[in-house]
Amino acid sequence: MHKPYSGRPLLRILFWILIVYIFIHMTFPFLWAINSSLKSEGQLQMTPGTMVPRDPDTMKVSLYLRNYAAVFRNKTFMRGILNSFVVAGSVTLLSLLFGSFAAFAMGKLRYRGKTPSMYIILSMTMFPQVSVLTGLYAVIRVLGIPATLSMILTYMLMTLPFTIWVLTSFFRGLPTSLLQAAQIDGATPFQSFYQILLPLTAPALVTTGLLAFIQAWNEYLFALTFTSIQPSARTVPVAIALFTGEVSKQEPFGEIMAAAVIVTVPLLVLVMIFQRKIIAGLVQGAVKY
Amino acid sequence: METTSKSLVKSEARLAYLLLVPSFIILIMIAFYPLGSVFVNSVTNKRFASSQKTEFVGLKNYKKLLGFKVMVLPPVIDDATGKQKFDPETGDAVWESPLDVLPTEPVRYKELSQFSFMGAQYVIGATDPDFLQAVGDTVGFTILSVFIETVLGLAVALVLNSAFKGRGFMRMVMLIPWAIPTAVSSRMWEWMFASNRTGFFNILLDKIGINNGQFAFLVESSSQLWVMIAIDVWKTTPFMALLILAGLQMIPRQIYEAAYVDGANKLRQFWSMTLPMLRATLAVALVFRTLDALRVFDVFQIVFGANRYSMASFAYYQLVDNKLMGYSSASSVVIFLLIFIFDFIYIKMIGGVDSDA
Repeated sequence: MHKPYSGRPLLRILFWILIVYIFIHMTFPFLWAINSSLKSEGQLQMTPGTMVPRDPDTMKVSLYLRNYAAVFRNKTFMRGILNSFVVAGSVTLLSLLFGSFAAFAMGKLRYRGKTPSMYIILSMTMFPQVSVLTGLYAVIRVLGIPATLSMILTYMLMTLPFTIWVLTSFFRGLPTSLLQAAQIDGATPFQSFYQILLPLTAPALVTTGLLAFIQAWNEYLFALTFTSIQPSARTVPVAIALFTGEVSKQEPFGEIMAAAVIVTVPLLVLVMIFQRKIIAGLVQGAVKY
Repeated sequence: METTSKSLVKSEARLAYLLLVPSFIILIMIAFYPLGSVFVNSVTNKRFASSQKTEFVGLKNYKKLLGFKVMVLPPVIDDATGKQKFDPETGDAVWESPLDVLPTEPVRYKELSQFSFMGAQYVIGATDPDFLQAVGDTVGFTILSVFIETVLGLAVALVLNSAFKGRGFMRMVMLIPWAIPTAVSSRMWEWMFASNRTGFFNILLDKIGINNGQFAFLVESSSQLWVMIAIDVWKTTPFMALLILAGLQMIPRQIYEAAYVDGANKLRQFWSMTLPMLRATLAVALVFRTLDALRVFDVFQIVFGANRYSMASFAYYQLVDNKLMGYSSASSVVIFLLIFIFDFIYIKMIGGVDSDA
């Protein structure tokens, strides 16, 4: 080995440049949304637009907080946050529960018809949402399912195949010897599943859960349709889309941006709590190659 | 020994079926009828929210969606010289109008695009140029944005997988784009791409001096698709990055230590260990991203409305504006088939997904 440390400082600088780049790339549009959310209609129309909200005449920094006040006063929106948590939370839990069952079967058990079952599950998500919408709506009306429950059920059409496929690939990655060792120790396949394999896939479970949660949280088209006759069940994206201006018929862009900022915060808190679970090396203690 | 392993296999299979039941019940309950009716409606002239009687029309919808013809455009002859006419201003050769060349019976073909090949000019005519254009746009959009997302996502995941101060914070920051509902983030970007200097990108171009700050990103057909790709890449790179990150977490550390002892450098470790071990994760991520990108709807519908379609927003406008349920369903089946082809290629290419461990 020649000069083992010569490249280090440069690499470190490159690494941090990369981190700064990722930070800017990922946050800039969001920062621009915060900026826009603090502007009045007049400030939004200023040319050139400003990087921070400024007074049109004096060009001093001037924050406009009425957008946030309006959003917090909006009952449909506040209720929407709660609705979204209920819907997305239930979808995530159900998808993870049933999804991990199915994924364990597909990833680790021997049975006939494995490949077809994987493809059948995948094919469920090959149609655009628009095209299954009318059919789904008909089914829901016939069965008389209320709006919240129908969202929970129908979102599974998107999240369940995703959960199953991702978790299957993770279960596959776990050595079969682990399962066999447990069986030799007298564990039933199901016991080795939930006592040994499931804890090992915790990072994957948390990751998949987060992705599914946000997918359900963001869904717009189904939510708009199913809550059309029951406004109290509206989720956040629908509530935001249906914002109308306080004074005029003009679209309240500042308020929409304020709402976007507000709904992002609880999600970030959620991610902060769960990202600790995505810990490095959780697997290494148990797996011996 | 033989009998015990056989009975073990049997009980394993029984457990497998039992574990699959809940998922299949849910999926059958919510998918069976809606998906079935898409297929059935696609061969009818069913109208949405109408009392008109529905009739079986066979493959007529598909013929109209996919019908196209390539025809030669004859040159316009200048009477004075007996040779092809040239535009006096631009100097370009003048060809017959596609309107005169394309057939109108039994169905009218409209111009999709033109191209020249070996000195001759050709026109591509289609019975529904909007749909074929939407297919081309969506496939182009999908290939480019999924490719960029995968590369970026991999890079982000590798960076966030290494130990540094503030890693937890960065992981949270990384998810911001994914956490904002598409219905809202599309509006955010629309605003940033505004055609005057209220929009961030025009302010930027103006400051650098490239443009006069009046570029209509969302109207110019040259920039429209790139805008969509930019929005989609920003929005879904976190999805890729997080999945790949989870895949990286599942790779045991010891094998890197072993490789290090054997003298493999970082690049070598990445190519011959990290990437192969990420194969299954990458395959699943690619399959779902491609599937989502081919079905892209929200962004196109919000930003472009009916000015430029993705395949799904085409299906939406046929259903909601034109009430053509049968026609819309046929376009959905075409989308389904396209997605199926894409996924099939992926799975065959990357393997690993349906092979037994």
